[in-house]
Amino acid sequence: MSRRPKAEKNEKKQIKYFDYTLLFIIIFLVGFGLVMLYSTSSYNAQLRFGNSAYYLKKQLFASLLGFAGMLVVASIDYHIWIRLSGLCYIGALGLCVLVMFKGSNYNGSTRWLEIGPISFQPSEIAKMAVILFLATIINRIPKQMGKFSSVIKVMIIVMPILGIVGYSNLSTAIIILGIAVFMVFVSSPKYAQFFLIAGFVGVFGAIFIALEGYRAERLLIWLHPEEYDKGYQTLQGLYAIGSGGLFGKGLGESMQKLGFVPEAQNDMIFSIICEELGLFGAICIILLFLLLIWRFLVIANNASDLFGALIVVGIMAHIAIQVILNIAVVTNSIPNTGVTLPFVSYGGTSVAILLTEMGLALSVSRGIKMEMV
Amino acid sequence: MFRYKTYNRRKSMIIFAAVLFMMMFLIGRLVYLMVFCSEYYGQKAEDLHERERDIKAARGKIIDSTGTVLAANKTVCTISVIHNQIDDPEGVIAALTKELGISEETVRKRVEKVSSIERIKSNVDKETGERIRAYGLSGVKVDEDYKRYYPYDTLASKVLGFTGGDNQGIIGLEVKYDEYLQGINGKILTLTDARGVEIENAGESRLDPVDGNDLHISLDYNIQMYAQQAASKALEQKQADSVSVMVMNPSNGELMAMVNVPEFNLNDPFTLNYEPRENVSEEEKQNLLNGMWRNQCINDTYEPGSTFKIITTTAALEEGVVRLTDQFFCPGYITVEDRNIHCHKRTGHGAEDFVHGIMNSCNPVFIDVGLRVGPEHFYDYFSSLGLLKKTGIDLPGEAATIMHSKENIGLVELATMSFGQSFQITPIQLLTTVSSIINGGNRITPHFGVSVRDGEGNTVKTFSYEETEGIVSKETSDTVRYLLEQVVAEGGGRNAKIAGYSIGGKTATSQTLPRSANKYISSFLGFAPVEDPQVIVLVIINNPQGVYYGGTIAAPVAKEIFENILPYLNIPYDEKAAAETESELAE
Repeated sequence: MSRRPKAEKNEKKQIKYFDYTLLFIIIFLVGFGLVMLYSTSSYNAQLRFGNSAYYLKKQLFASLLGFAGMLVVASIDYHIWIRLSGLCYIGALGLCVLVMFKGSNYNGSTRWLEIGPISFQPSEIAKMAVILFLATIINRIPKQMGKFSSVIKVMIIVMPILGIVGYSNLSTAIIILGIAVFMVFVSSPKYAQFFLIAGFVGVFGAIFIALEGYRAERLLIWLHPEEYDKGYQTLQGLYAIGSGGLFGKGLGESMQKLGFVPEAQNDMIFSIICEELGLFGAICIILLFLLLIWRFLVIANNASDLFGALIVVGIMAHIAIQVILNIAVVTNSIPNTGVTLPFVSYGGTSVAILLTEMGLALSVSRGIKMEMV
Repeated sequence: MFRYKTYNRRKSMIIFAAVLFMMMFLIGRLVYLMVFCSEYYGQKAEDLHERERDIKAARGKIIDSTGTVLAANKTVCTISVIHNQIDDPEGVIAALTKELGISEETVRKRVEKVSSIERIKSNVDKETGERIRAYGLSGVKVDEDYKRYYPYDTLASKVLGFTGGDNQGIIGLEVKYDEYLQGINGKILTLTDARGVEIENAGESRLDPVDGNDLHISLDYNIQMYAQQAASKALEQKQADSVSVMVMNPSNGELMAMVNVPEFNLNDPFTLNYEPRENVSEEEKQNLLNGMWRNQCINDTYEPGSTFKIITTTAALEEGVVRLTDQFFCPGYITVEDRNIHCHKRTGHGAEDFVHGIMNSCNPVFIDVGLRVGPEHFYDYFSSLGLLKKTGIDLPGEAATIMHSKENIGLVELATMSFGQSFQITPIQLLTTVSSIINGGNRITPHFGVSVRDGEGNTVKTFSYEETEGIVSKETSDTVRYLLEQVVAEGGGRNAKIAGYSIGGKTATSQTLPRSANKYISSFLGFAPVEDPQVIVLVIINNPQGVYYGGTIAAPVAKEIFENILPYLNIPYDEKAAAETESELAE
């Protein structure tokens, strides 16, 4: 039931397509994200920096940078990345290695690289690099993707970056792995082998958790957050969500953001959205993300070639995984793991890279040729 | 260039479907959390955000029968600091040290303590509080508060009682009527952030306090003052341990005064009213304080001595075993079983009738009369007159009567009982029992509490007290009054005689236990006017130095009180009685 743009099949030959729907969804999401970020972070910002707009300013700057990146990337032909993706991948790998040794420490983890006045998270760049690189690789051997060996080969290619990123940031590594699996899954005509892999991952995952004490503890905290000190953040998030009710307390009226939910502007921002905008607002946001993902599906399925389609599938996987993991964590549906909500959570690198990534998707959308279909 | 094939599309559709499914699951989860668990989590969150502050309710006043306020409230301030809101700790420490007069070290410790709110000092004068407020220091809170205040310091201290830090009554009427006096504290609910800092404009919800109701009591400020002056004078003159005076309306039990000197300062109840010896431990100090707070009229028992002869007389008259004209002979002692019991007059009163027997307070006469009643019946009268039960006065800690059990009363016990020895009752018990005899035979309940009124003066509750009618016959009551009038007119109580007023009464001098200590309690019980008693007074001087006869030292105290209060109570000046007295004096 793919909805390809079928209009005016024979009348005009080359209609320039540009996915404005996607663009507006993105603009809306970023705008909404900034409003919520200000609402959520102003208290912490005032307290820590004496300036309630501290986080907002930084995020706004990153967003503007991201929009610039988006426009540039959207306006250039995405096929250029077939040649550059290898470089991107090596570069991202290099940065991730660099951050292991020279990264600056914040909140107990080494994830930031400082170059002059700008500091950024190389792991965010790694996600995009992996999408481009895998699209390039698969695009070279589309016929062999049915073979299990090819699947393994492709997966081995992403292993170095997975290992390096996962060393300091397991959540991002999981996201990258997810992106890779989805891209390979889409490019392969087979099903069975993936179910086999899924089965293996499940079994090994269970053994992995059982072997490592602190991961098992995480599971217990997930099941009974109120009984553990470490369940504090989760519990406070639940308080925020619960006190939102149907229509919320109103924008800016959250109590939980006043230091109860620690670092509310980061991973837990969705809980404050729930508190302020209620179930209604929360569902609206989820539907908005769903709409965004649906646009990616449309673009991927109508892309003029496999390469473009794979890029968009990668982006779709990226957004979908992060949104689902984030909301699942905030609602305590899965054990706690630090994943940000795209476009909304505070994080300059994240929002800048995401917007640039959107530029890629828009670039692919421009390649859709109406008359072809 | 490779095309995106159909299977690719199908697979991306599968991914989308999976995403859709998961998002639907998450929406379901949200619905569960935000609709079904909303109340639970919302309440928990609210509990976390709300901070409760009490607003103290003003305690009701205690007002006497003249409308004088005996216990009121004074606005004081509580100074506290909120650690997180302090900008300039040094400035705060300096200002508070200067204004509150406590050591810098103490202030510093509290200011630097990390807590949500730390009390520095309570019960600070309003003026000082306002000066501190004027500094405008952030993080310093000046909360207004009420403190119990007694305008007359020591007046009726053991009756009124005082309150503790939480505004709760500790002794006296303050504790007895606590439920009426104590209001309902209000609450301010404020929202705070995670550090405990209050959020401005959060729309604090406020539950206004309900002030306590006023207690109106029968005590009369003026009578209490007269009685206290007279008692203090006697205390000083006789170097006594203590002097107690009670003034009551014998017909309904309303107490108009209850003095126990030395009184203590109600505004400073935790300081002894004398210099204790050095090195008093905390525990000893508390015992000494408890001793100071004792209301001797109610909390202590004593052997009433001769004043109890009123009850012996009543029993004998009721029993019909004595007539006023009965003749007795007092040789100075009487032999009961194998014991000689002496009269206070060792040489004996000689021949006398019953009237003179009571006028002379002759022990052999009363022993004789008591024996005529017999142990069993005497005990029954003791019981039916209400002496075995507590009086039920509306003050805490009333002591019970200490009495022989019925089967242990032999003739010797009966003999000593008939002149008020070998058992112990409280002064209030004696006063109440005699009142009940002279008022025509109605056993009344002594009390202070009259009514409870709210701030606007509307009556909330009027107290009623138990009365038992007919505990003695009208005739006996009349006879006893007549006899007691004779005691004051010409007998042992003549030092209480006042020209123009008919006064009845009885003196007593009782030796305290152990007898070897040679300590005495002198007392006088008197009432006026004899025909229709409207006021009854009991004076008890505990351990006077020098002369210790009740008739000599206690009766004049009662006289002084009568002289002041009889005109005050508008008891008619009796021309005839005045003339009689004068002619007597002329003789």
